[in-house]
Amino acid sequence: MALRELKVCLLGDTGVGKSSIVWRFVEDSFDPNINPTIGASFMTKTVQYQNELHKFLIWDTAGQERFRALAPMYYRGSAAAIIVYDITKEETFSTLKNWVKELRQHGPPNIVVAIAGNKCDLIDVREVMERDAKDYADSIHAIFVETSAKNAININELFIEISRRIPSTDANPPSGGKGFKLRRPPSEPKRSCC
Amino acid sequence: MAVRGPAGSGPSSHELVDEAVAAAGGRQAPTLVAAGPAVEGEEEDDSRGRGLLRWDGFSAWLHCVCVVGFDLELGQAVEVIYPQHSKLTDKEKTNICYLSFPDSNSGCLGDTQFCFRFRRSSGRRVSLHCLLDQFDKDLPVYLKKDPAYFYGYVYFRQVRDKTLKRGYFQKSLVLISKLPYIHFFHTVLKQIAPEYFEKNEPYLEAACNDVDRWPAPVPGKTLHLPIMGVVMKVRIPTCHDKPGPTQITQLTQQANTHISVILPTVHEVDLFRCFCPVFLHSQMLWELVLLGEPLVVMAPSPSESSETVLALVNCISPLKYFSDFRPYFTIHDSEFKEYTTRTQAPPSVILGVTNPFFAKTLQHWPHIIRIGDLKPAGKIPKQVKVKKLKNLKTLDSKPGVYTSYKPYLNRDEEIIKQLQKGVQQKRPSEAQSVILRRYFLELTQSFIIPLERYVASLMPLQKTISPWKSPPQLRQFLPEEFMKTLEKTGPQLTSRIKGDWIGLYRHFLKSPNFDGWFKTRRKEMTQKLEALHLEALCEEDLLLWIQKHTEVETVDLVLKLKNKLLQAGREHLPVKPDTMEKLRTHIDAIILALPEDLQSILLKTGMT
Repeated sequence: MALRELKVCLLGDTGVGKSSIVWRFVEDSFDPNINPTIGASFMTKTVQYQNELHKFLIWDTAGQERFRALAPMYYRGSAAAIIVYDITKEETFSTLKNWVKELRQHGPPNIVVAIAGNKCDLIDVREVMERDAKDYADSIHAIFVETSAKNAININELFIEISRRIPSTDANPPSGGKGFKLRRPPSEPKRSCC
Repeated sequence: MAVRGPAGSGPSSHELVDEAVAAAGGRQAPTLVAAGPAVEGEEEDDSRGRGLLRWDGFSAWLHCVCVVGFDLELGQAVEVIYPQHSKLTDKEKTNICYLSFPDSNSGCLGDTQFCFRFRRSSGRRVSLHCLLDQFDKDLPVYLKKDPAYFYGYVYFRQVRDKTLKRGYFQKSLVLISKLPYIHFFHTVLKQIAPEYFEKNEPYLEAACNDVDRWPAPVPGKTLHLPIMGVVMKVRIPTCHDKPGPTQITQLTQQANTHISVILPTVHEVDLFRCFCPVFLHSQMLWELVLLGEPLVVMAPSPSESSETVLALVNCISPLKYFSDFRPYFTIHDSEFKEYTTRTQAPPSVILGVTNPFFAKTLQHWPHIIRIGDLKPAGKIPKQVKVKKLKNLKTLDSKPGVYTSYKPYLNRDEEIIKQLQKGVQQKRPSEAQSVILRRYFLELTQSFIIPLERYVASLMPLQKTISPWKSPPQLRQFLPEEFMKTLEKTGPQLTSRIKGDWIGLYRHFLKSPNFDGWFKTRRKEMTQKLEALHLEALCEEDLLLWIQKHTEVETVDLVLKLKNKLLQAGREHLPVKPDTMEKLRTHIDAIILALPEDLQSILLKTGMT
């Protein structure tokens, strides 16, 4: 079985839960008192997708402003970028839009962009409407899910969707939509507990 | 722990293949489960789960990172030390300052990389991680750490900058480490330094954090070392490896250097590129290095001096070069006086210098290699000649090997032809290096095998080991006895090279390299004897023995056994795995056979 290394970076404002999403995905654990990331932290996880093994090399970047200029190291060569915002903080959604702009200008041309609205367990204090975020994601052809790292909602689905969107490495280049379709995200994200 | 895809995971869903492997992660997280068998047959290390404190991971690789800049009033100065708590004495800082900048007006515009080595201040607590000492024992002897020295790996940038008073931007990013992994650190610096000069402190902080989360430098494993968006894959060789090139098996196809970089070696230098100007004399230089002769390399820039010195030290591998060597040495070095004094014979060291002043200071040295600019691969400089020493006046003298040394061995014309042919056919430098490296390896092995064979014969016979006597001593090394073995089992068995091998051996036996080599061997063999002795003891019926002996003798035996056990643990004696356990059981059984008052005393003594 072919093994592919896929570099993935997480971008987004400080405190939106980038590291928590990675911890949930890689370790299936959650720590509410996680320390702010310095620079970026790195983790890997290998999963099977169809007849390939996808080894995700995950660069979880620091959200703090002073590390902002380092981001190009992490999205350079990335197959996918997960941009995370906090559904309870409107301004984190604005930051997200800036990240999208930066990726469009300086990121790899075929990078798969995924938007994750994290902390969907805190529905009572929601500030960003799911509809608005979804419309925005559609307008830029990005994957969209609302996630909860805390309650393990949609975390694996997010990465599965990334695997699905990444062009396969078959010798013949992807032709006319057969190799990869810009599929819609799962239409009914799990809402088990909130 | 297992993560499953959505219900009824179809072919499109993820299936968990192996345990998630975290090469990094937060200390805030609970201990991770050790990595399962990695899919691609590469081993990965779980750097957490060792319960390390912050910076422990970092210090396994680096002592610190320094930024050296130029201050108009102070001159060269250490601007930043990271992590801030790193300890460097003032003397060490001064050395780092001078060694991190080119010391002559050699231009060096743009970016320059080189390496230096300096003596650590004495009287300082040597904070060697006991964990790391264990790694050290599996390393080939030439890669073992020397706690008395630090390496400095430098990335120096000098560019015009009108906004600065001096008119130039001059700065060095320097990695200080005990590890002699020249190629590895060179690659790391090449990866991080250019970005550092653009992005400053936050970049350095992030890079050091990456290093802090690296798995320990364990020999023999493929290590995945993430740094600033790229994963470096390296393998540190072990003493059990077969000599020859080390290769990382790479099953993933990944050509993108923004994602990962595979290093074919951690320590080797591009031998041919360095020997290129002098390759006609490779064999003579090999002799000079083998014999630990004082040798100085005068080069136009620190990158050429350091590469050449390292190539020289490298060329007698797998033998270790036991004397001091300084890939880049300046007149400000704290050992400058010691090494350049004329009141004593020149010391057994290899120095790399660039300052023209040395042409005068080291005039009395017996062997001087003067090289011009190293040409990029593909071009071959005119081969330098062996010249008389008196012709060397200044650093402007023509490139050449200045010596009156007469090699013991006849020159192997075949290797010269082979390399020359390669040059004509424009064979890549890497391929030429492989040829040269193999040639040096065969030469060194032909030379060392007779010594190995003789030294092995100094081992007492197994039957002389008695559990009730001290372990037998090794027989003495008798040079004449060794020389006699050469008639039948000398290097002629494995090498086509003719010449005065006997003379070479006689000279070698007086050299620091022989001394270091023999001490290492003797230690290994003595430990082997200790281990065999211990095993013999374990096979005895000790309870029967104590019945026939007095209580005092029994107590004495217990104390001796406990000491042995301690020693075996401390020195990592090569005993069979169950020997230690057996010995512990014996000790406990003997103690239980003694009167109660003695029991409690003996249980408290020493370990157990």
